[in-house]
Amino acid sequence: MASYTKEEQALIWLCGCTELEPRERVLLLRAAGSPVALFERFEFFSEKVLGSRAACDLAERRRSLDALLAEAEEKGYFALTVLSEGYPEALKASFPPLVLFGAGKRELLREELFCIVGSRVTPPWAVKLGTDIAARLSERFAVVTGLAEGGDLSAVRGALPRGKIVSVLPCGLDECYPAAHASVKEEIIRSGLLLSEYPFREKTRKYSFHARNRILAGLCKGVLVLSAGEKSGALITANTALEYGRDVFAVPYNPGIAQGIGCNELLKRGAYVCTGAQDIFDCYGIVPQEEKTVPLAPEEERLYGILREEGELHTAVLAERAGLPVYETAAVLSALELKGLVVKAGGNRYSCVK
Amino acid sequence: MIAKIICYALSGLDGIPVEVETDINRGVPSYDMVGLPDTAVKESKERVRSALKNSGLLFPMNRITINFAPADLKKEGASFDLAIAVSLLKASEQLIGADVADTVFLGELALNGDLRPISGLLPILISAKGHGFTRFIIPAANAKEARFLGGAEIYPAENLLGVVKHLVGLEPIEPLETAEFTAEKWQCSSADLKYVKGQPMARRAIEIAVAGGHNLLMVGPPGTGKTMLARCIPTIMPDLSFQEALEITKIHSVAGILGEEGIVTERPFRTPHHTATTVSMCGGGNRVVHPGEISLAHGGVLFLDELPEYKRSTLEALRQPLEDGKISVSRAGGTFTYPSRFMLCASMNPCPCGNYGSANLVCTCTPAEIRRYRRKISGPLLDRIDLQVEVDNISYDELTSGEKQEGSKEVKERVNMARKIQRNRFSEYKLNTNAEMGEREIEEFCNLDAESEKILRSAFERMKLSARARARIIKVSRTIADLDGCENIRPKHVFEAVSYRLEDKF
Repeated sequence: MASYTKEEQALIWLCGCTELEPRERVLLLRAAGSPVALFERFEFFSEKVLGSRAACDLAERRRSLDALLAEAEEKGYFALTVLSEGYPEALKASFPPLVLFGAGKRELLREELFCIVGSRVTPPWAVKLGTDIAARLSERFAVVTGLAEGGDLSAVRGALPRGKIVSVLPCGLDECYPAAHASVKEEIIRSGLLLSEYPFREKTRKYSFHARNRILAGLCKGVLVLSAGEKSGALITANTALEYGRDVFAVPYNPGIAQGIGCNELLKRGAYVCTGAQDIFDCYGIVPQEEKTVPLAPEEERLYGILREEGELHTAVLAERAGLPVYETAAVLSALELKGLVVKAGGNRYSCVK
Repeated sequence: MIAKIICYALSGLDGIPVEVETDINRGVPSYDMVGLPDTAVKESKERVRSALKNSGLLFPMNRITINFAPADLKKEGASFDLAIAVSLLKASEQLIGADVADTVFLGELALNGDLRPISGLLPILISAKGHGFTRFIIPAANAKEARFLGGAEIYPAENLLGVVKHLVGLEPIEPLETAEFTAEKWQCSSADLKYVKGQPMARRAIEIAVAGGHNLLMVGPPGTGKTMLARCIPTIMPDLSFQEALEITKIHSVAGILGEEGIVTERPFRTPHHTATTVSMCGGGNRVVHPGEISLAHGGVLFLDELPEYKRSTLEALRQPLEDGKISVSRAGGTFTYPSRFMLCASMNPCPCGNYGSANLVCTCTPAEIRRYRRKISGPLLDRIDLQVEVDNISYDELTSGEKQEGSKEVKERVNMARKIQRNRFSEYKLNTNAEMGEREIEEFCNLDAESEKILRSAFERMKLSARARARIIKVSRTIADLDGCENIRPKHVFEAVSYRLEDKF
């Protein structure tokens, strides 16, 4: 059984077994002076600070703590308190979560962390870009992100093969939000790291996304925003990151694309322009491994060239420009897609991604 | 005197001979029916009585007993009327000299003695011919349906008196001339691919689907011509052979939806509304089991517009008939098997608002809504759909060259070529099309060269395909190669097949 000090145990109890607001927890701790003191005389401080009597006595508190630790042991979860060794220093600068519950490879927290976020509605080319960037970044960084569809998931998919993924949940570790990504969550636990500051079975609440975003921003060296509308969680993460003094990167968009307004706004305010992993590597003076170039057949080369000029084209239009039958164009395009150079953009349109 | 007349009852698509025996005794006048007749049959008492009277024939005022044999089979419907009337006439010695021994009498009587058409005539005739009967008297209104039978004397009668005059030799009715079946060329169908503007991808997908017998899913925003494309599918399917036409006609005859021609000359195109129940889709009924939409679509196309709107249970019920090409419906009255080898063509919007993936319109759905919408279609059902194609709303001003639109005729020629290749390939197997291939046949007929194998593997990794999806891609590649006239599957065929797969985790 993982051993925790008394102080740690008191904190774990405070965060894992009570349903207090974070602010209340801090007030209580301040009043008590130390977690252990609070744990032992919880009724007293609760009465004094919050003006309500706690319903449980010491023995009950011990029981619930033991139950929690046993459950964590059984499920393979661990807890990292602010007092523990290995608690990410970067987080302590701001409003740190008192306890982080985690599942998976905790040693990832010792690596350099880089955060990639994007809104749930991210255009297909940006999803592909996010996956590519995450894949290349995972050579040097562990990628931090959430678990939502769109931008977050693209980063997860890119970084998972190397196992360099840290995903922070806005709910307890037992829950999965969105529920459709349960299998992704399992994969992350298997090869990466899953973090949450909430009791295991806590459901998501409106504010928990906001609170989660401060952890994303706090953990990492820099944040890349793949896509963000005018109001977007990704923007909150970026703004928090700026507050904490982290580097902010954004993918530039054409004007008029709703999912790119936030990104362009960030760029106007001085965020780094990012069109590929190289931009991030350059910023930190990292010389990455040479990227392999894919050999193209002459026909592929030709169509790719035409598509690059426009960025995005309908298959039929492309076929017409290339003077090929539509079905042959479709075949070449799916060859290019398999080589990772173009993606389907919906409605039989294809976009270039490199 | 006892009279025995043969007529037929229907059980599913098979006719079962029923003997109508009439005995007339002296005694208090009465009129009894025995031998498990249902209400409609019992009601024939009154129709027959009036029909006899109004035809100037005598209704015997004696003790009449009518028996239907075999007694354990439930007799339903009004098609026994003529047989009952003739049998009464024979028993009351009004048909002296008439030979009714090996004749099958079919038809419903009106009160004035006219003969009304019955449903399910063709299946009855086919079964009866198989049982060795070659002489039939049928309602004249059913004549068109019967004229394709051949090898039998079929006398179409207008009314009861006509039947009597024919039987006693006063005014013999001319037997029907056997008509030659020609798959008439779509003269009544207004659909033709040449009227479909643009949509080159979807047109190609339809061609492949028909050539290889694959099922097809069209995904696209509302108003992009999905339904119109689907209506063109029957126009590029190979012409009906006589055997196929007879089989389809049997089903349509039983369902009572046979058109003017009396035989189905066009491949059926059925579009059940999405409120359809499982029973209306698969067939069923209280005691008589009626064929459902999937059987009515046998040999043709079942088009399910707005696929996610159908009840999940209804869609799931399609899975087994899609595999087996037939459906067995079990009811208290028995188990009936109807053929149901149809091509499934479905269409759906990409998301609830319909604009997902559109170039110029904004989709207002949340990812969760889209997921919920798409999840209504189960994986196993999707697994049986080999081709998925996007139908888009591109404005064709963007296509400058005045591309000429091929008509259905040209496409049909290519389809016929591809089908011929498949027939030769599967001559020793019980298969018709590429879509029906199993693992063994794929192994045998779909050799992939090293490069194609490599493509498939990378498609697998990139698109996270399932093992079933792999088999489907190979089958579609085979069909594309057939259309191309290639003996071996080449990489470009595989690439094209891959392009007809939308996200597998749909």
